[in-house]
Amino acid sequence: MAALALEDVTKRYGDVLALDGVSLSIDPSGFHCLLGPNGSGKTTTIRLLLGLERPTAGRVVRDGVRLGSGFQQPSFYPSLSVRENLAVFEAAIDRDLGEWHDRLVTELDLEPVLGRSAADLSGGFARKLDLALALLARPDVVLLDEPLGALDDVSTARILPFLAEYCEAGNAVVVSTHEADAFEPYADRVTVLHQGQVLDDRERAAIDLASDESLQSRYVEAVLARERDESGPDRDLG
Amino acid sequence: MSLRSQLRKEVYWSRRNAAALLLVLLLLPGFFAASSVLFQDVIPRDTPVAVVPQGEDVSSQELILVHAGTGTYADPVDVDSTEEALRQLEREEVYAVVEVPANIDQAGTDVTFRLYVDGTMVPFKEPSATIATIMEGQLDESLAADVTLERIVVGNDHDLSAYLLPIALLALIMLFAFTYVPYNLAQESRVMDRIRLESSVEALVGAKLLFFTALMVVPIVVFQVAVLALDAVATVSFEHVTALAPGALLALLLTFVTLAALSMAVMVLTRFSTTGRFVNVVFLMGVAGFSGLAYPVGYFSPVRKAIVRAMPTHYATITVRSSMLRGSSLATFADWVLGLAVVALLALLVLKLTVVYDRRWR
Repeated sequence: MAALALEDVTKRYGDVLALDGVSLSIDPSGFHCLLGPNGSGKTTTIRLLLGLERPTAGRVVRDGVRLGSGFQQPSFYPSLSVRENLAVFEAAIDRDLGEWHDRLVTELDLEPVLGRSAADLSGGFARKLDLALALLARPDVVLLDEPLGALDDVSTARILPFLAEYCEAGNAVVVSTHEADAFEPYADRVTVLHQGQVLDDRERAAIDLASDESLQSRYVEAVLARERDESGPDRDLG
Repeated sequence: MSLRSQLRKEVYWSRRNAAALLLVLLLLPGFFAASSVLFQDVIPRDTPVAVVPQGEDVSSQELILVHAGTGTYADPVDVDSTEEALRQLEREEVYAVVEVPANIDQAGTDVTFRLYVDGTMVPFKEPSATIATIMEGQLDESLAADVTLERIVVGNDHDLSAYLLPIALLALIMLFAFTYVPYNLAQESRVMDRIRLESSVEALVGAKLLFFTALMVVPIVVFQVAVLALDAVATVSFEHVTALAPGALLALLLTFVTLAALSMAVMVLTRFSTTGRFVNVVFLMGVAGFSGLAYPVGYFSPVRKAIVRAMPTHYATITVRSSMLRGSSLATFADWVLGLAVVALLALLVLKLTVVYDRRWR
């Protein structure tokens, strides 16, 4: 049984059905991409897995997994400096992480802004600080909601290999995104959500892309096909 | 942007914050209008006064005669001994003590009543001189004996400046608990998801309560230093004023814990919103208005008196005033301080329940 999973989960916000009977297990290691258009239920899925929301129906399994999260809206103390933010959340960690703190600062290029008030950070640096806080405790599974938002191409090119390396060390990274192309070289598994349901879920190796086709175009086509013919046969990524 | 577009934005904002506006524009004025009825008047008409016999030879019939002689402006209460009556005076359960001599119903006898008032109860001390004169006349007229009334001011004799010090401290603590604490908590709403994930809301509010409660010692120390400095240089005397008295310190800090826990509970329930901050301002007004901070509660109408007597902050006010100005021992107010501690624990329980509610219903 998976240590982190949604089992037939439905989530409603008043009249809005955000998730409709979703079952999804997260592998203990690997790079897992949650793809889907706006409003497809990606953020709700992440928040349910994190335990920040309670399901309306169904069950969320979280058995002894240490979780970390990067949020859609970067989440930190705006009135503290970057260094102070790191220190506050580091103090909540009850084990020795060695040089991990310094490694994060280097990999995420936070050194130049360590003394700066978090409220004054640009969108890109705010995202980097949020990522640093997500990874600070070296969680078993880190769930990142739209992690590339506001990041420049150079930062993206540095951070994605770092996340892939984090997976190779035996951890899992789950990203919710609509930018499939950026994650295509790293993804081990792809789940497509659409209108609160799982449209497709398979290993990246099982997705057979044509030479002129990208993961992004395949997923967009799958979603559009579903919208064109809601009652027709399922179209998927395969 | 043009004025028109900005006005449109205000309309949109108002729609989004309808609950907060409803509170400020409708409920708050309604609350003030309704509460003004409760005040009725502030003439010391039903001031509680202890009536005690000067000796064992005073008959109960003579005490009843005194009741009749003081009834128009006081609410007389029989107390067995002067010692107990003075204790009640110290705890502001009564505002004066009338000691009744024997033989007041015997014509041609000279009798001397004693009227004890507290030197710290400044708003009553000055009027009590007039009350003493009127009382002497009324008693002399209604009793067969020739009456003389001696007014005695007991305890430390303070003026208005000193009387206002504990009020200012309490007001400061109320203001901090109901405005700064919610503001500070709302500022951290942006990081609340991360706190929920990596720590807990309980740890957050617990840390804030501990930190801010410790911080509250600072203004109390500042008051103490200011009192010493002013006593040395100003013409106003602050002799016998001790802000750091154990009773005052305990009552102030327990009051802060109670009020801050309640204001945080409001913020958690309202998801750290603007509405929560307005609700806390309404609470601030209610608590400040109904704690009997400045005027002795004995001056108020029966309805308001009952409300004030039901407020824990009323007992905190008297404990702080007595400890700071009268030099009362902690033992004199041990029951009230214990009561304040119980109320603080209940407030913490309310806060805990709101956090659990917030977690369960997200």
